[in-house]
Amino acid sequence: MEKSTKSKKRLETSRELPLIIAQYYQECHEAKARGIPVGWMPPMNGGIELFYAMGLQPVFPENWSPVCAAFGLTGRNFEVAENMGYSRDLCGYLRNIIGYVHGMMGEAGNPLGGLPEPDIMLPPLGGCAPVMKIFQALMRRFPGAKVFKADMPQVAIEDIRRHHIDYAISEMKRLIAFLTEATGRRLDEDRLRETVVLSDRACELWDEIMAFRRCIPTPIAASDIGIMFVMVTRQGTQIAVDYLTKVRDELKERAARGAGVIENERVRLFWDNIPLWYNMGIFNYFEKQGGVVVAETYSAAWSLRLDTGNPLEALALKTLMSYPLVSCVSIKKRKEMVLKACRDYAIDGTILHRNRSCVPITLGQMDIKRELEAIGVPSLIIDADHMDGRNFSMAQFQTRADAFMEMLLHKKGFSL
Amino acid sequence: MVSELIAPFHDAVTNREANLNRLASEGNRLMGYFCTYTPIELLHASGFVPVRIMGEAPKVEKAYNLVPDFICPYLRKAVERGLEGAYKSLAGIVQGYTCDVTCGLVDIWKENMGGEVFHILPLPYLDQASSRSFLRSGITDLVEKLSEAGGAYSEQRLADSLDLYAGIRSRIASLYDLRSRRFLPITAREFLIVVNAFFVTPPERYLAMLEALGQALPEAPPLNGGIPVLVSGSLVEDPDMLGIIEESGGIVVSDDLCTGYRAFSPVDGHGNDPVERLIDRTMNRFPCPTRSSAEDRIPRLLSLMERSGARAVVFLVQKFCTPHLGDLPTVREALSRLDIPSILIEIEEAGTMGGQNLTRINSFFEML
Repeated sequence: MEKSTKSKKRLETSRELPLIIAQYYQECHEAKARGIPVGWMPPMNGGIELFYAMGLQPVFPENWSPVCAAFGLTGRNFEVAENMGYSRDLCGYLRNIIGYVHGMMGEAGNPLGGLPEPDIMLPPLGGCAPVMKIFQALMRRFPGAKVFKADMPQVAIEDIRRHHIDYAISEMKRLIAFLTEATGRRLDEDRLRETVVLSDRACELWDEIMAFRRCIPTPIAASDIGIMFVMVTRQGTQIAVDYLTKVRDELKERAARGAGVIENERVRLFWDNIPLWYNMGIFNYFEKQGGVVVAETYSAAWSLRLDTGNPLEALALKTLMSYPLVSCVSIKKRKEMVLKACRDYAIDGTILHRNRSCVPITLGQMDIKRELEAIGVPSLIIDADHMDGRNFSMAQFQTRADAFMEMLLHKKGFSL
Repeated sequence: MVSELIAPFHDAVTNREANLNRLASEGNRLMGYFCTYTPIELLHASGFVPVRIMGEAPKVEKAYNLVPDFICPYLRKAVERGLEGAYKSLAGIVQGYTCDVTCGLVDIWKENMGGEVFHILPLPYLDQASSRSFLRSGITDLVEKLSEAGGAYSEQRLADSLDLYAGIRSRIASLYDLRSRRFLPITAREFLIVVNAFFVTPPERYLAMLEALGQALPEAPPLNGGIPVLVSGSLVEDPDMLGIIEESGGIVVSDDLCTGYRAFSPVDGHGNDPVERLIDRTMNRFPCPTRSSAEDRIPRLLSLMERSGARAVVFLVQKFCTPHLGDLPTVREALSRLDIPSILIEIEEAGTMGGQNLTRINSFFEML
C-alpha cells in the first residue's frame, strides 16, 4: 500500500461528492466575480449560517488543507511555509495554508480554481492555538480584508453556563452589526430562522446517518466520511439537507437488505482523532482481514441540535460547542464519547491516532486507552500526522495494524 | 554557585518539594497553577497558597504513559514530577485559559494525580465592557468553587491580596529597572532564581525575602562589558540557560519571559472594587503569544529593547510551543528589518543548553 492513497468508497451518494465539492468552490469563485462578499472563517462556528442567511459567501481555509492533501499539494505548501521560518513542529494545517497563500494561490492550475481572496475575515479569538495563528498570518497576507475578531469563551462543554452563552450571544450581535456595516446587507430574521431550521435539519439527518452504523454489518464506514463536506461548508443550506437525505435513504436501503461495506465483516473498529487526509485509503487497509472502521471521533462534531425557536442563541451555542472540539477539550467528555461509540457501534478495537499535528485531541488518549481496556476493548496507537505524511511510516503502520487485527480476530474466535 | 544574597531564593526553588510539604503539614492549603494568567490573588484571598507547578525533572519516563513526546518539555517534566509525587500536597489546579496543552493537562492531572479543585477560567481576548463583565462572572464561578472547597473569600481579603502582590511586583519591577540600566549587581542566572522563587513561595514570605534582598544589594557601578540582549520566550526554569548567555559574551538586560517580565507587568490594576482591579490588571497584561498576535507584541519588544539598550534578541522557546513558534517568523522578520540580530534556541527535554546550541550561541555573540 502506498503512503498516499484515496479511500475506496462504497456509497453511491459518495460518488456524487466530487461534483458537490466542485460546485461549492465554483460558487465561491462566482460570488467573488459577482461582488458578493467572501468571508474566510474557521469551520463549525455559527458565522456560517449568518453568512448564508445574509447572502454572503463563507470560505473555510482549514477545509482547504484536506483538499490540498487529496490533490498532493502539501509538499510544496510546507516547503514555502518552512522556508518562511515556520517550524516543522507546527500543525500541518497551519504550514499548509500559510504556504498556500504565499505560494501557489492565484497561480494557474489550482485544483477547483483555488481559494478566492477574502473580503472579510473572522479570525477566532480562542479556538486552538494553530487556528488563531493561521488567521493572524492570513490577516497579514490579506491586509485589505475587513476583519471581525469574535471573542468566544473557551470553556469545556460540561462547564458551559448561562453567562458564557450570554457573552457568546452578545458577540454574535456584534458580528451581525459588523457584517451589516461592512457589506451593506441587512439580516432578515425570517431568513435567519429558515437557515437555522435547515442547519438543524442537517444535524438531525447526520444523527440518523450515524445511527446506521449500529447495523451489523455496517452499511457505512469511515472510508465514506467525506460526506461530512456538506456539514463543514453547507450547513444552513438546502443543498446539505438534500444531499444528506439522499445519503440517509441509501443507507436505509442498504441496511434493509443487510448490505455491509465488505462482504464478510468480522471486526468492527473505531478511529480516534483526525484522519490522515493524504491517505484516506488507510481506512480500507483493515478490510483484507475483515476489519471495518465503523466509526470515528471526527463525525461526532455535528451531533448537536439547534433550537430553531431561538436562532441567535442556537448559533451562539453552536459556536461555543465548536471550541471544545480542538481547544478547551474535555478529556472526560472525550472519554465518554469514545466509550459510548464503542458500546453503540459494538466496537471490537480502537485505533488511536497519536497526531503530531493536533495535540489537544491527542492529549488524554492514554487515559481513554486505559478505560477502553477496562471494558475489554483493545487499542492500537499509531504515530502519524493528519497533514504531514513525513511524520507517518506506512511500513510501521502495516506491521502494527496486522498484528492488531490478528489479535482481534483471535479474540473473537476467528481462524486467521 | 550562587551568592549569599540569593541563597534564600535558591533554597526556595531547589528545596521546593520539601518546603511545600512542610507548608501543607503546617495546615496551609496549596493550590497549583501552570500559567501566570491564573488569578493568584483570588486563590490567595480564598486562603490558598498559590504554587506554580514546575518541571525540572532530570528525565522523563513515566509521563509518557500519559502524554505524547511532542508537547513542550516543561509540561512533560511537570507531569513526571507529578507522577513522582512532588505535588501531592496540592489541593488541585486552577488555570486561566491560555495554552491548549496546558489546559488539557489540567484534566490529565485530575484523572491521574488527584485533588479536590480543578478549574479553568475562560479569559476574554478583547477589552470591552462586555468582556470585563464576562470575566467578572467567571471570577464569581471560581470564587464559588473555591468556597465549596473550604475557601474563605471576601472582598476585603482580595483587596489585601492585591496589595500584597502589587508590593511584590513593584519591588521586582525596581529590580528590572536596575537591570535594564545595568545597575543590578547580580547575574541573569541569579535573577532568574529570584524570579522563579516567587512561584513556589508563600507571598508574605517572598515579600520579606525581596525586602531583605533590596536592603542587602550593594550599590554598584554600572556593569560594563557584554553585549546587551533581550531574552524572549516562554518558561525558562533552568538558570544555566541564562548563565550560558552571559558566559558567552552577552548580558541579559531585559526579557519577555513568562518566568520573567510578563509575570510581573503590570504591577497592579485599577478599579472601584477589588474584583475590578483584578480584572483591569488581567486585561492589561503584557500579552503572551497565546492571547495576542506578533503585531501586538513587536512594538512591546522594541520598547523593552529601547528602554534597556538591548542590541540583540535571544529567543528561548520550549520545543513544540505552538504560540511562540507561530509568531516567530513575523517577529524575527520585523527585527531583521531593523537590523536587530536574533537567534532561536529551542529548549529540549535535556534542559541545559547542549553542545550544538552552545556552539551556536557562542558564534552568535562572536558575530555580534
